[in-house]
Amino acid sequence: MPPIINAEKCNACGVCADICPTDVFHVKKKKTTPAIRYPEECWHCNACVLDCKQEALSLRIPLPLMMLYVEAKK
Amino acid sequence: MIQINKTPMETDVLVVGGGIAGLMAAISAAEQGVDVTVAEKANTKRSGSGATGNDHFLCYIPKIHGKNMDPIIKEVRNSLIGGYHDSPHTVKFLEQSFERVKSWNTWGIAMRPMGDWEFMGHAFPGRPRIWLKYAGHNQKPVLTKQAKKRRVRIVNHLPITDVIVRDGEIVGAIGLSIKNSEPVLQIIRAKSVIVTTGSASRLYPPAGSPGCLFNTAFCPSCTGAGQAMAYRAGAKLVNMEFPNRHAGPKFLARCGKSSWIGIFKDPRGKTIGPFVTQPTRELGDITSDVWNSVFTDLLKSGRGPTYIDCTRTAKEDIDYMIWSLEHEGNTAMLDYMDKEGIDVRKHMVEFMQYEPHLIGRGIEIDLNAESNVKGLFAAGDLTGNFRADIAGAATFGWIAGESAAIRAKKIKKFQKAENSALVKTRRRIYSAIIARESGATWQEANMALQQIMRDYAGVEVRSETLLGAGLKYLNDLKQHILEKLTADNAHSLMRCLEVLDLLENGEAIFHTALERKETRAMHIRSDFPFTNPLLAEKYLTIRKEKNRPIVEWRDKQ
Repeated sequence: MPPIINAEKCNACGVCADICPTDVFHVKKKKTTPAIRYPEECWHCNACVLDCKQEALSLRIPLPLMMLYVEAKK
Repeated sequence: MIQINKTPMETDVLVVGGGIAGLMAAISAAEQGVDVTVAEKANTKRSGSGATGNDHFLCYIPKIHGKNMDPIIKEVRNSLIGGYHDSPHTVKFLEQSFERVKSWNTWGIAMRPMGDWEFMGHAFPGRPRIWLKYAGHNQKPVLTKQAKKRRVRIVNHLPITDVIVRDGEIVGAIGLSIKNSEPVLQIIRAKSVIVTTGSASRLYPPAGSPGCLFNTAFCPSCTGAGQAMAYRAGAKLVNMEFPNRHAGPKFLARCGKSSWIGIFKDPRGKTIGPFVTQPTRELGDITSDVWNSVFTDLLKSGRGPTYIDCTRTAKEDIDYMIWSLEHEGNTAMLDYMDKEGIDVRKHMVEFMQYEPHLIGRGIEIDLNAESNVKGLFAAGDLTGNFRADIAGAATFGWIAGESAAIRAKKIKKFQKAENSALVKTRRRIYSAIIARESGATWQEANMALQQIMRDYAGVEVRSETLLGAGLKYLNDLKQHILEKLTADNAHSLMRCLEVLDLLENGEAIFHTALERKETRAMHIRSDFPFTNPLLAEKYLTIRKEKNRPIVEWRDKQ
């Protein structure tokens, strides 16, 4: 669920883990790609996506949070 | 036993929580020449409800609004944030708000991104506009930089769990380091403490997606910690009985409904509110500010659901709307809409009312932002007799910083806060939680609390029997939690303590809701179905004395 790290792009700087407002990430060993330890605690604020200089992060919005829409009436 | 760092930290002013109010308090205290520490649960660069941005800053600019402040005071009182103010606080806030705006603009937060001071959104046709539109996407890194520039010590990943009081005065606080998997307690000796921990999310089940505890419009890490620790320390909380509900897109809970420039419509395309027929950036549809329960009411009546229709909005206003959603931090939602092909130019998006949370309900402060506990100051979303969201946090944060510094300068010596009995008691409770090999997780405890809050102190109906039963169940749950809660590392221990704080807030809600024997706003009593004019000018406070709640009425100022 939520944040997804592209391991090929990640340079293991640890910024995402450091700045996450809900402490979703876990760095087991310094200079390794963080693990998404608590995906269900993601607020989907995008802080990690915005602050990753490597553009290695993306979010997946879980199904229960889907946005609902219809075609507008003409 | 849980580890404790044997060397206490010392700081003149401790700021608990590095959100907007916290960072502004820290900057302002540091400018007074005292030593300041911010203890932050996450990282001040991206923490709290303003983590990735904001776009509305309530503000009075005499050059624009005119020299007479009265119409602006009236507008504040009638706005969505104005219901529970003490008037002198509103005036002091308005007098200083523009100064804070100018500082932010100088520091690099674009307060007039279009060149002029522009007031947009949350506005009525023909009335003064009070919400300055700004581009706050970088507000947290900018404020962090300004704090560091003034030598503020920022300790990230150190949530504060309690303030320590001796003889009615603040002497320090207890922190819980979550930097590593192993939790470590850190005692801080301080001459003044400013609590700025934001709102209380996760107290009621998420209205749209009950299984998703973190799908909240305001930051889910804000769990009423400041209110709870102040309450435990003897500070008064005020207006706790009044639920507050935000609204926004369904099901992804987001703030920022006023950035949407459109008209609320039913599924047949019929306009719901009377305010606007052609939405513009200056005047969007204010229906949901006025009729807070519109989305719920239409859904329940069968006439719904309710959509926002932006298809008649001018192209340049649509571009402006998307630009402002980015700057207020809604980029995750915009990315999602792009991916899913949701286009406001042709689609109507459903809106909903979210679950109650505490904002502008909580710690009672005087005009210097001090509580009734000497040396304990508060600012931002957690104060109960004033609310102006980001602008309130910035302005009263600044006031709190100044006041806390003035007090700290008068105190010569630090007290040995680490010797307090409270440290022993709390250490015992935390140790028991981490020592248990099996038991209830924090998620279980949080959900159990939410369902009691929903059914017995909810927004549909309250009564003496429901509230009385709920209070009993809440106390039962507290016992279960204290006996069964378990955590396997620092992170989950922090979550456990969040639930205990939420429970404390819940308790204050039950006691005050029982005492307010009338129906007013979203406090709906089936046994007192009328609004009592005799209570219109009365606020209800609650505080703890010898571990017992004391509920008292006072006149509104």
